[in-house]
Amino acid sequence: MDSLTKLWLSTGLANFEIGQVVMMLVGCGLLYLAIARNFEPLLLLPMGFGAILTNIPVSGFSEVGGLLHYIYYAGIDTGIFPLIIFMGVGAMTDFGALIANPKTLLLGAAAQFGIFATLFGAIALNYVPGIEFTLKDASAIAIIGGADGPTAIFLASKLAPDLLGAIAVAAYSYMALVPIIQPPIMRALTTLDERKIEMAQLRSVTKIEKIIFPLGVLLMTIFFLPAATPLVGMFCLGNLMRESGVVDRLSSTAQNELINITTIFLGLGVGSKLSAEAFLNVETLGILGLGAVAFSIGTASGVIMAKTMNKFSKIPINPLIGAAGVSAVPMAARVANKVGLEANPHNFLLMHAMGPNVAGVLGSAVAAGVLLALVG
Amino acid sequence: MDNMQQQFFEAGTLMLAGMVFVFVFLSMLIIFINTVLARLAIKFPDPIVAPLSRTNRKSKSHSKPHGEISPAVVAAISGAVKRYRTQHGKDK
Repeated sequence: MDSLTKLWLSTGLANFEIGQVVMMLVGCGLLYLAIARNFEPLLLLPMGFGAILTNIPVSGFSEVGGLLHYIYYAGIDTGIFPLIIFMGVGAMTDFGALIANPKTLLLGAAAQFGIFATLFGAIALNYVPGIEFTLKDASAIAIIGGADGPTAIFLASKLAPDLLGAIAVAAYSYMALVPIIQPPIMRALTTLDERKIEMAQLRSVTKIEKIIFPLGVLLMTIFFLPAATPLVGMFCLGNLMRESGVVDRLSSTAQNELINITTIFLGLGVGSKLSAEAFLNVETLGILGLGAVAFSIGTASGVIMAKTMNKFSKIPINPLIGAAGVSAVPMAARVANKVGLEANPHNFLLMHAMGPNVAGVLGSAVAAGVLLALVG
Repeated sequence: MDNMQQQFFEAGTLMLAGMVFVFVFLSMLIIFINTVLARLAIKFPDPIVAPLSRTNRKSKSHSKPHGEISPAVVAAISGAVKRYRTQHGKDK
């Protein structure tokens, strides 16, 4: 009898707590979004599965000695995984459109307003009972507005590790929702005539420009914002590997095998942070809400900046490309292209939108550096 | 309440400092692209574009009429022509 009781006590059924069941359902929800809705499946699938694994009673996946515990501490707590992913993103990024039309950097800068405005929102949420965000928490939440998964995870792991799970879920969910969140804002802020604006073809960019660009960015970061050098440095390394043309093997590894392997572990590691006690609270709801606000404000400020630039510029600028300033490469650029095509079937904005899009990546890395330097 | 005001103040300062910094940083990048990169682009154009545009005249002044075709390509073409001729010679 004794051994029977022992056996029963070692089953999952006997040890389940309600919170764990709910979190497993959250994990299943993420799996559903990834598999059925195709929302950022590369990350949401391992993340959802990690959420299920970490909530299995008795198994101790996320306790000392458990796999997920080590994955988290080796890769995410140290910031290594997001940085490796950032290198891969750098190797995938073509700065050609940005170098050809450097003014679009301003759009990438304007869209970062979403980040800093959300900081306010997060602090204001402290009026809600049950929510208590410090300035560090608020900064980590605000970076969701940068629409850049690795940057968000990097900053959250440095400033607010307790909120990492919720922040990563919010960041990636909203990135997947870009095609739904952005178009209404873009249409509301522009007139049909503005959306119809066709832009001049971009000049061709030489190889030497593309090689010197990442080095220049790195040099400027070293001089003015060393706190951002982990992010910007890895990004520039990836980009230099791509553009130099002499290490195609490394560049291809960084943008394929390495980023894939890291994504698996990053997803699992973030999933391990989706435990009931860390996720099931009012703060998570606050974070999810703030994430949506951050995205919307970022989109709006990008579009408004592009409208303003269009008024003063001799060369026409379609305000829609401003929305791509929130990074979320390349989804946001595709959205700008699609909304542009709706207004004018001959208007192909994709290449023009790639400029602010990659500028947004730099912008959010710089914003993350500023937050790290001032709050961290 | 005082604490909240303090936090709002800090958030405001952070927002101002952050936005100013992001704009200044990216504006400097614009200047960098427009000065350094643009000059480099003119000085070192891509080799494929070069013979069609600016450096065309330069290469003439160096009296290198076939300088743009690499020896490897010449070797490959002449090899192929040779083989073609010998094959056709055999056919006849």
